[in-house]
Amino acid sequence: MTDLAVDDTAPAVAHDEGHRTSLNLSNMKLAMWLFLGSEALLFGALISTYLLSKANFIGELVSGNPRVLDTLPDALAKEFVEAGSVEPIFDIPFTSASSFILLMSSLTMVLAHKAVSEGDYKNTRVWLGATAALGSTFIAGQVYEFTVFFREGITYDGNLFGSAFYTLTGFHGIHVTGGILMLVSLLILSFRGKLQKDRAETVELVGLYWHFVDIVWVLIFTIVYLIP
Amino acid sequence: MTDTATNVPTAHDHDGDAHHPTERQYWMVFAALVVLTALEVAWSFIGLDGIALAAPLLIMMVIKFLLVAGVFMHLYFDMKILNGRLFTWMFVAGMVLAMAVYAVVFSTFEFNI
Repeated sequence: MTDLAVDDTAPAVAHDEGHRTSLNLSNMKLAMWLFLGSEALLFGALISTYLLSKANFIGELVSGNPRVLDTLPDALAKEFVEAGSVEPIFDIPFTSASSFILLMSSLTMVLAHKAVSEGDYKNTRVWLGATAALGSTFIAGQVYEFTVFFREGITYDGNLFGSAFYTLTGFHGIHVTGGILMLVSLLILSFRGKLQKDRAETVELVGLYWHFVDIVWVLIFTIVYLIP
Repeated sequence: MTDTATNVPTAHDHDGDAHHPTERQYWMVFAALVVLTALEVAWSFIGLDGIALAAPLLIMMVIKFLLVAGVFMHLYFDMKILNGRLFTWMFVAGMVLAMAVYAVVFSTFEFNI
């Protein structure tokens, strides 16, 4: 292993990793991880709020609290009470397909990073475009799901469950949308020839963000949808 | 990797995580994620209840979490620094701290809907 002074890739590395912290880390990477740590705080708070709100909501519903029952259409309230959970509102096969799409997008994201690291710009664009397309499909599915829920009678301000559910999954959707915008920006940079091998770390940083939203969905899928 | 004599980072030093997975390994991890998701969904339809339903689902969720964080986000290859894996702790600590704080705070609440 040679050091920067004699390595022929030194200029490229110096461009991207020239600014390092005293811990010998890339500043940008350290900043991204700190950001993801704060994001973990946000989603940890939203998930725990959802769990506690749902438990309270179901408890009140099953015990027949009229103030809670009145927040739902009669048929839906009856289904919830009989099941003892909010499970009847969820379409698990549909959400499973959404989960598959998001997992697939994580794969295409790492392949995009690998391609740009190897100087394969054509495949970089293919994988970045695929990731953005898969993310958009996921968001389309979420819009559809929200529409169905709304028509069923679950509104944002109707009851505790609706508020917690829309806040948690909505925040996640906003994050996915932000990721799609970053991916499109990378695509534009790539088509303009400004996303070269020496900027691979930029793709890696967007990738970290993208995988983070995927991880959050892994948690949401199990905790919100699969465990009644 | 770092030049130990001068402590100057080399051109191949990517914050200590130079050994990134191969494309084949990425595909294998993706296949594992798909299989685990299918197992999760199948398990949720078996008709079990309580801990028998939740425990396996949570275990599979944690495995999926570790696969994405460890391989796709390269945390498995995270540099060892300050007697630990810096990025891993930076990431996990946030979520654990948040859930613990909110669980404590909400346990003191009495909801009046």
